[in-house]
Amino acid sequence: MDKTQNPTSLINRDYESISLVSFDEWIEDPEKHSKLGLGIIIDPADDIYLIKDQLEFIELIALDFNNFDDGRGYTQAYLLSKRWNYAGEIVGINAHLDQLQFMIRSGITSYQLLESYKGSNEEDYSNGFSLCYQAAANNHGLNLQY
Amino acid sequence: MYKYSEKDTQFLVERVDQFEKQLNRHLSGELDEDKFRSLRLRNGLYMELHAHMLRIAIPYGILSSKQLRALADVADKYDRGFGHFTTRQNIQFNWIQLPEIANLLRDLTDVGLHAIQTSGKATRNITADPLSGLTEGEIEDARPYCELIRRWFNLHPEFSWLPGKFKIAINGAKLDETALRIHDLGLRLVRDNKGELGFSVYVGGGLGAAAMVGPETASFVPVEDILSYLESAMRIYNLKGRRDHQKRLRIKFLVRELGATEFSRLVDEDWQQTKDDPELKLNLKELQSLKENFALPVSPIDLKGFKDQVDFNYSIWKKNNVRSHKVSGYSIVNISLTKLGAAPGDATSEQMRILAKLADQYSSSEIRTTKRQTIVFPFVRRDQVFDLWKSLEKYDLASPHQGTLAQIVACPGRDYCDLAKAVSIPIATRVQERFNDMNKLLDIGDLNINISGCENSCAHHHIADIGLLGMQKNGEEYYQITLAGETLHETNIGKKLGPSVSSETIVDAVENIVNVFIEHRNSEEKFTDVFKRVGIEPFKEKVYG
Repeated sequence: MDKTQNPTSLINRDYESISLVSFDEWIEDPEKHSKLGLGIIIDPADDIYLIKDQLEFIELIALDFNNFDDGRGYTQAYLLSKRWNYAGEIVGINAHLDQLQFMIRSGITSYQLLESYKGSNEEDYSNGFSLCYQAAANNHGLNLQY
Repeated sequence: MYKYSEKDTQFLVERVDQFEKQLNRHLSGELDEDKFRSLRLRNGLYMELHAHMLRIAIPYGILSSKQLRALADVADKYDRGFGHFTTRQNIQFNWIQLPEIANLLRDLTDVGLHAIQTSGKATRNITADPLSGLTEGEIEDARPYCELIRRWFNLHPEFSWLPGKFKIAINGAKLDETALRIHDLGLRLVRDNKGELGFSVYVGGGLGAAAMVGPETASFVPVEDILSYLESAMRIYNLKGRRDHQKRLRIKFLVRELGATEFSRLVDEDWQQTKDDPELKLNLKELQSLKENFALPVSPIDLKGFKDQVDFNYSIWKKNNVRSHKVSGYSIVNISLTKLGAAPGDATSEQMRILAKLADQYSSSEIRTTKRQTIVFPFVRRDQVFDLWKSLEKYDLASPHQGTLAQIVACPGRDYCDLAKAVSIPIATRVQERFNDMNKLLDIGDLNINISGCENSCAHHHIADIGLLGMQKNGEEYYQITLAGETLHETNIGKKLGPSVSSETIVDAVENIVNVFIEHRNSEEKFTDVFKRVGIEPFKEKVYG
């Protein structure tokens, strides 16, 4: 895994800075945190079903994609975006260039690449295909072949 | 024959373009080995000690003669003049140079071939009965379903980074030539009591150290709902599958730990939330169009009065390698590339071109590949089988041993593979030498011997009549024997006979097992049926007594 430091805040759709807490911190006292206008950082191992009923109180959700081979974040993004219609920003943090296409189509709404990819051509990897073969959370701009 | 559309070909080109960029970033030091490994495997590329191995998919095991010629060209241009047909309807090239990969893959896009997801922790090539569409009494031709499911999981955004590899097989025939219950996920086409078509689903089968027959997780999923069901099964696996232990990555370990009932319940709970989503319904219009594309290229012909040639060698070969076809006037012909003592599945570019030429001449330009690493010609006119045999003989491709005990499935073994604990091919050769009497071989009939050099079980020894597994004991090579594995009528993992047997005495043990079988069988009884009737004791007694 690449060395990273998780952000302590991220910008939401209204360009407001949202402070972040970890998933564990949140579920320790959801009631208290719900009132504070916070966002959550979710690790691949976190059981996202535990916050399903609290989504309206969460300002922003950051999914951590640092571990290249751990694909749980894609299902977390799908559940939040497509199944539970989460209205806030879903940010893919510690993202890898080569996985942007998968992250975006799974439902993340913005991303922060790892430092090491600075200066790379993101377009090649976020938008490298003209078509897709399956329904997904986000198929924007693709020819649908299914 | 079904062919990719221009859009599909465009997609293949885009995939090669992207991979080429990744390859260049890796070669320039920009992309580290760990990440590149994950990416290259998803494009079928392995790094071996001296060169690179590339695995090309043969979807549902079908090749046109044009595609086979393209593979022969690849073997000559980029490899050392040969390729290796695997047990899972792929072909592998072993001597590929890294900087040439993109050009090789680009050459193949012209004929609709690719290496997408032939390795890595994603959905692999989906396999089907090589006789799909050809045999009487089939429930449904599996190929259009294979194609739709293959497409759906092609670069699927949610399921391209699973805990482990994910192999799917689909069978639409009564007999199971696909061994679907030893797959991560097996689909059996079935009809319910109203005659509606659907799938029975089996999840968590697998060979290797913890061999397991996949339990049924759903007895009937309607055809149009299969994609959402598969997504739910993969979603549960993606979220809950083991990622912490390199040897427990496959879905069989999750199913075993949760129990099949709990796993099925979790899948069902997820599925209830998606099964009515119109976006996830199988596209029935596309299915219909695929069915037309997969329609058989031949019509019945009247061969009344036709009498086949009489020739001793021809008759022996025909008995073991020619099967009846559902279209009258046609036969299905099995061809083995394997010479005694050689690695099964290897084909030279010359053999590929010969097969392509013969397929044009005798089999509507179509070739199929099987899990026994043989080739099938699916459309041979009954009155041309003899001519085909003559041609095969000329090219040394019609060994009468085909279809007998002497046609052994063996992995490369310790002679060629770093992982193997013991040799495989030399044992196969010694067994073949012991059973070198053609009359005896014909008397024994169809009896499968599979030899794997280690627990990775590349030769599928668990599902053979007689399975041998190579191991090391105090620096010596030993073989564990399993008996009566099967998948055709029902799925059973072979039963361990007893303590492993030394390399010197393993062939005696095999002969003893065959003799017990002959002694106890009633007329045409199969090995597995004899085993079920008499039990393991008589075999044990003879081998260890």
